[in-house]
Amino acid sequence: MKLTRREFSAGLAAGLAAPALMRSAWAQGATIKIGMCVPVTGPAAEQGLWAQNGAKLALAAVNKAGGVLGRQVELVIEDDQTTNPGIVLAFSKLAAQSDIVAFLGSIRSTQVQAMAPDVIKVGKPVMIGGTNPDLTHSGNPWLFRFRPNDNYSGRVIADFGVTTLGKKKWAIVHSTDAFGTAGGKALTEALTKLGAPPVLDQGYANQSQDFTPVVLAVKQSGADVLGTYFTFENDLGIFARQLRQLGVNIPWVGSPSVVAVSSTKLAGPALFGTYGVADFAEDSSDTAKAFGKAYRDAYKTAPDNQSAWPYDAITILSAAINKAGSTDPNKIRDAILATQKFAGAEGEYNFDKNGDGLHGYNVVKNDKGKIVYDKHIDFND
Amino acid sequence: MDLVLQLLFTGIGIGAVYALVALGFVLIFRATNVVNFAQGEFSMVAAYLMVVCVELGLPYWLSFVIALAGMALLGVIFNLGVYYPLRHRTYLPVIIATIGASILLSNSVLAIYGPQPQVLQGWFDTPGIQLGPVYLDSQYLLIIGVTILLVLFNFWFFEKTLLGKKLQATSQDKEMASLLGISVSTMIMITFIYSAVLGGLAGILVAPVLFVSIQMGSTIALKAFAATIIGGFGDVAGAIVGGLALGVIETFGAAYISVPYKDGFAFLVLIAFLVFRPQGIFGERVAEKA
Repeated sequence: MKLTRREFSAGLAAGLAAPALMRSAWAQGATIKIGMCVPVTGPAAEQGLWAQNGAKLALAAVNKAGGVLGRQVELVIEDDQTTNPGIVLAFSKLAAQSDIVAFLGSIRSTQVQAMAPDVIKVGKPVMIGGTNPDLTHSGNPWLFRFRPNDNYSGRVIADFGVTTLGKKKWAIVHSTDAFGTAGGKALTEALTKLGAPPVLDQGYANQSQDFTPVVLAVKQSGADVLGTYFTFENDLGIFARQLRQLGVNIPWVGSPSVVAVSSTKLAGPALFGTYGVADFAEDSSDTAKAFGKAYRDAYKTAPDNQSAWPYDAITILSAAINKAGSTDPNKIRDAILATQKFAGAEGEYNFDKNGDGLHGYNVVKNDKGKIVYDKHIDFND
Repeated sequence: MDLVLQLLFTGIGIGAVYALVALGFVLIFRATNVVNFAQGEFSMVAAYLMVVCVELGLPYWLSFVIALAGMALLGVIFNLGVYYPLRHRTYLPVIIATIGASILLSNSVLAIYGPQPQVLQGWFDTPGIQLGPVYLDSQYLLIIGVTILLVLFNFWFFEKTLLGKKLQATSQDKEMASLLGISVSTMIMITFIYSAVLGGLAGILVAPVLFVSIQMGSTIALKAFAATIIGGFGDVAGAIVGGLALGVIETFGAAYISVPYKDGFAFLVLIAFLVFRPQGIFGERVAEKA
């Protein structure tokens, strides 16, 4: 028998396609797969573990309640190495598995930015935790955010200080890195809108050993309230101590680092009485409390936003696929965007057309070293 | 005026920290003609040793003694493991070996202790005293006091004692020193021990102010290195003056010109010295040596 070139090509194509066809046929009766890019190695490996914990907790609950479309849900984890090239590689590995219906991306905005072009090419929904506003405002229809973006932290700090505390003379201290500069700018804009433009806008370089000049600038500005965007907890600790030593005791409302566990430990009494914004606060709602209890029971440690957003992402994504009644990416997308008034661990989700689920922050207070929930501030736009 | 006094105190305080670490650089440079890039890590390791001892419930003074003894031991190991095998090579392999050792030290501590910064209480219960308009942080007062004592001690040790003179002789001319019956390798061993202890002392003193973290050593060491060049590499007085000058310049620069460019002032001064006076403030003696 003589094999023609055409027959050979057809045979080769069939041979190559067979495993994929068999896999997809088999998948019909098997699990529904969700891919997750997460740091397993690298500097954020510890936080990566918390993210996996949160996602797995939600997954267990979803599967216990009958799964999605009558099938069990499976998480396929790929290490993003806490780097941008790492997450691009991890995402392409996951995207190559055609039976994965949706993905969880990173909590780091820079990583989400790195993977965004591939996300458009793949054309399937990706849940993210990065808070840079641009991520969901650059025309990428496949990114869905499960944390409030940075526009809201500035607005919440401003609103709480001006409306609740009644303070109008603001000093802003922020890091000069990308996070601190953007945060400082957002806060300045929000304050200006509220009719209280800051009297001092003071940047500092990360890893400063001494903050005396910054503290003296705050003191001389005559400000009656302080708003801060600190990137590193040890910088915050040094600043807080020197602030109190040099006799500045005005109210202080800061970005999430002010109420982070390690800052509370490092600065001690210097941070007593300060307010901070936090996207996850265990006492903020019944859902957050229930998540906190389940997390503690499962992992014997306290949860934070690193584990709360993947928990919400898996929960909402599963509900959306069920509602869509299909794993078609466009139908899942429509179902996520239609999610309104959904009580999650991070807050109440009301997705807007950009794919932002949350529109506000919790304000928490350092009460003699214990972080207590104060109030939740949401915006409608 | 109040502002100036407050800035001056802080500037001198932070400058004294740079000076202490710079001293370690200078001593090793004099003895071996190489720059020890692990000097900052000595400070970091000592601070972690101190944290471990205090967490174990040992008294503060005992923790201090144990931490410094640990540093002496680290000096011995460092000499035997990093310098001694390469002592007949040019300075380049030795410098690269010290960089390697610094990466090894910081990553070892990271692996054992994790990335979270730690708190170490200060020596005194009172955080500081208010002297008129100026607030004096007690830990900075201690650092300045220790720096002054060390300057006096170094002068006495290197100029008045036999061991000090032997160390000086070794650093000036190893061949001649060994012809005179001085054991050069023992002298270099002593230098490494002393530098490790000095670096450790700086780390323990500064820990209550800057907290204990993996990168604490490298950030101080970078400034201390600049201070050493400004003061004149190889000169003890130069290290002290360079450190203090750097601390004061960057504090005033930050207050009166720009806070974000604080580190820039330090390195601007460094560049100016490298261009116009590369031998540093006290540079003549280096020239003598050459």
